Amino acid sequence: MPALIPKEVEIQRLKKIWLIVIAMGSVAASVEVDNFVDGSLHQTSIRDSAFTPAHWWLYSHFITLPIGWGMAAVYDRKVPILRGPNNSMNTGLKMTILGYLATMFTIGVNEMWHFWFVEEIFAVPNHWMFNMGVVVAFMGALAYVVRVYARLVELGAETPGENPYVAEMYKMALEGKLYSRAIP
Amino acid sequence: MTLPKGFGSGGTGGSSSADVERMIGKRVENMTGMITMSYWAALIATFAGTAAGYFYYPWAYPTASGHFAFIVLAIIEAIGYIFCVKVMEEGSNKNSNGIVGASIAGSVVFVLVVVLFVGR
Repeated sequence: MPALIPKEVEIQRLKKIWLIVIAMGSVAASVEVDNFVDGSLHQTSIRDSAFTPAHWWLYSHFITLPIGWGMAAVYDRKVPILRGPNNSMNTGLKMTILGYLATMFTIGVNEMWHFWFVEEIFAVPNHWMFNMGVVVAFMGALAYVVRVYARLVELGAETPGENPYVAEMYKMALEGKLYSRAIP
Repeated sequence: MTLPKGFGSGGTGGSSSADVERMIGKRVENMTGMITMSYWAALIATFAGTAAGYFYYPWAYPTASGHFAFIVLAIIEAIGYIFCVKVMEEGSNKNSNGIVGASIAGSVVFVLVVVLFVGR
């Protein structure tokens, strides 16, 4: 793949993206912990209010994550290799931001539902979009992160993975086949 | 290599290392101070969040639960901090193990003090 900006510049920019990725990864790890904290709270108390600490913890992620990934998308424009189809946003980033935006809007939907119904089991319909949004976002983030890492490998700034399955994923990303054959 | 508009020698095709440095701006290996400050800001914000939990909502978030959350989050933040500094400095001749070590040791002491003495 030809370099459109000097190699050193590209490595530095990819690593700046990597900083945001690590921060977002930490936030996502934190939300996983809060799934248990929130679930544990709701085993003893049903719907209390939007402002219990387990909810601050949970909801603040669903605002932080779309904004943080949005910042990644703004900076991502400086790395030509990460552009999506027709010079648009990277496909993985699109999925990530759309997924987390869904969770952000679900906060409102969820509050509306709980105005009438206090049931807090995992499977009530107002929780569906939280879970679907997170799954879509995780798929997109994985694709994007692998793409960034694969490019760092290609530029010689990182050592490729030794696990053959992981190595195969890098290879597909480098060939532009990680998402599909048509969408780079 | 032809550089983007505003860089290079204006169409003659040449690029100098000064142009490349100007395109890079602040290099990632020189961001350790900023990363360390961000880590501490995150840790203190986490403490503030859990403290609000066990001081204002003890019925929903007992102190032991808040301490559990604080410890787990401090570990997650510390891993992210170490990862950020090490990845940003790899391949350069920078080495901030002292700063990272001191910062992590300081945060361990901070977490222990909070867990032992703060809360109801």
